[in-house]
Amino acid sequence: MTTRADRRTFLVQTVGALAGIALVPDLTEPAPRRQGAPRRLALIGAGRQGRAILAELQKLDAVEVAAICDTAPARLETALGRVKGAEGFADHRALLDGRSDIEAVVVATPTHLHRAIVEHALQAGRHVYCEAPIAATVDDCRAIASAAAAARTVCHAGFQGRSNPTYKRAQPLVSAELRTLVSMRAQFHRKTTWRFPAPDPGTEREVNWRLDPAHSIGLAGEIGAQQFDVAHWFRSQYPVRAEGRGAIRLHRDGRDVPDTVELDLTWEDGVVLRYGATLANSYGGQYELFHGVNGAIRLGWTHGWLFKEADAPTQGWEVYATRQQFFGEEGIVLIADATKLAAQGDLKAGIGLPHPPLYYALADFVRSIVEGAHVACSAEDGARATIVGILANQAVIGGRVVEIPTLG
Amino acid sequence: MGTRFELVLVSGPADLRTAGEAGVHEIEEWHRRLSRFAPDSLLSHINRTAATSPVRLDGDTFALFADAQRVRRESGGAFDITVAPLMARHGFAPSAVRGEVGTDGSAITLDETTWTIRFTRSGLSLDLGGIGKGHALDRAAAVLRGLGVTSALLHGGTSSVSAIGSSPDGRGWHIRLGSSAAGPVVTLRDQALAVSDAGSQRGEGEPAHLVDPRSARPAPRGRAVAVIGASARLADAWATAVAVLGRVPGNLPSGYRAVHLAGATS
Repeated sequence: MTTRADRRTFLVQTVGALAGIALVPDLTEPAPRRQGAPRRLALIGAGRQGRAILAELQKLDAVEVAAICDTAPARLETALGRVKGAEGFADHRALLDGRSDIEAVVVATPTHLHRAIVEHALQAGRHVYCEAPIAATVDDCRAIASAAAAARTVCHAGFQGRSNPTYKRAQPLVSAELRTLVSMRAQFHRKTTWRFPAPDPGTEREVNWRLDPAHSIGLAGEIGAQQFDVAHWFRSQYPVRAEGRGAIRLHRDGRDVPDTVELDLTWEDGVVLRYGATLANSYGGQYELFHGVNGAIRLGWTHGWLFKEADAPTQGWEVYATRQQFFGEEGIVLIADATKLAAQGDLKAGIGLPHPPLYYALADFVRSIVEGAHVACSAEDGARATIVGILANQAVIGGRVVEIPTLG
Repeated sequence: MGTRFELVLVSGPADLRTAGEAGVHEIEEWHRRLSRFAPDSLLSHINRTAATSPVRLDGDTFALFADAQRVRRESGGAFDITVAPLMARHGFAPSAVRGEVGTDGSAITLDETTWTIRFTRSGLSLDLGGIGKGHALDRAAAVLRGLGVTSALLHGGTSSVSAIGSSPDGRGWHIRLGSSAAGPVVTLRDQALAVSDAGSQRGEGEPAHLVDPRSARPAPRGRAVAVIGASARLADAWATAVAVLGRVPGNLPSGYRAVHLAGATS
């Protein structure tokens, strides 16, 4: 972590042997600088995720959404109602051919459709943000990475952990504070059908592609890959083996894609990430947990905590804090801008991120375009992370061990 | 929005569960966007930013703010989404409200040509508590109708209600107002209802939980009113305005009516 961030991070007092210390993200990074007129972007794929992307892009003054593309008229109409003045397209090629003023596209179509659109956009000289996972097959992942390597434009994969300020704060602490990593756990629990209403029966497979075994890479690939990538990034290594199992525990509606999965990802040094995801229960939500000999780090996308063992060395940066009950433990909460907020009697206002995690990934993409900044998650990073997700899903579907090839 | 929403879906597409999840998702999305307490909400972004630069909005959110401002003007300031600091001062809201103590809804500028909002002075803190639930219900009802739902009842905290079609008996959705068994009953068919009660949520001897933005003082207790009309969003805002005014103004939107919970109908 930077010296600047360390100065902003304090702890007053340790409570109990195992205290939770909220990780203080560095929120001082400004939004991408607008230089002249806003740069024009297009959104391709205006489903639920696409609409969430629109909401965050609206906050970035450096860009404006000039066009939206979706094959479904109803989705397109809804999305066009979100952005003043955007032009609608039903076909991404027509958009790329017809709007030469658009410099970049954000691809948020169903996963198995990403490859063709990303390749076309890169060949057309556009910058590309590709939602994660970037593809539904290993071949498509490699093709996207190759196309990006050959392109002169930015290709950013949407693995959000790498842009999340809380996770960026946590990343160096995994080695600095936890020291030797013992194990990792992660989960995604949300009670939902994972099914979307289809306007008519003929569109059922298209709309519910996540439940179509021909295209779906399951909970492990669609959701887990985002979480696995946090471990990849923190460890600078990829797992070598996946062992999984899955079942339908609740949604017996004719689907074949498991609504509950469990799997172990094993790294070369024997450390295991144990993962569970279910659409049958919401308890605990979504988190990643890293256990080390000196403590543990728990991350929950907008928040993070460091739990230190009683015998762990105390760092000099631990000064100011407020207490928080956390899973039965009284812990210590650290807050960004603690000194200023304390002076205002407003300490708790600093807890949490000021924007959803998606904002930070898109801001990094825009920063790469307008400022030439380093790409926070390259197509190659995205391909590797997605391949792990795809192979993990194969392990779940087959109930077996899948060896993961060396990914770099 | 700090309350429980319930959706009862009676008829429509074969897969009502999936339709219901879409409605719930819509409500959750608007909760995330309109929360005054979540730092990552759109409203928090507006409160932090709009005094220094215009904030771009989506069409639905722009329409929400346009309605809020229209009710403010037409109610003579009895409804005002800049009331948050006053609410905090009187102990009706958490103290984590930034901004000066005072309201100034006229300092909100909406630009129809760009769908942007900006503040012409600093220190404002918007609170959509008097309109947000209704807006979320309107949006959820629109989603459900779009999916073919023909009969449903949605409510947020029992104080904001949206009815799709009629009840299973075909006689409309009957809603009893207030906690008394003798309370008035209204019947909704493809209509919305919102209740504002200046005395609810507070114990005896405590002041009302509504603040009159015009006087910066709590509204008198005992003012309880329901407003019924096509839009839950407008009904929500007007219910607050009527409770603050203490009378039903002559300029309620066409097709809207107010019912005093004591039983008098206007």
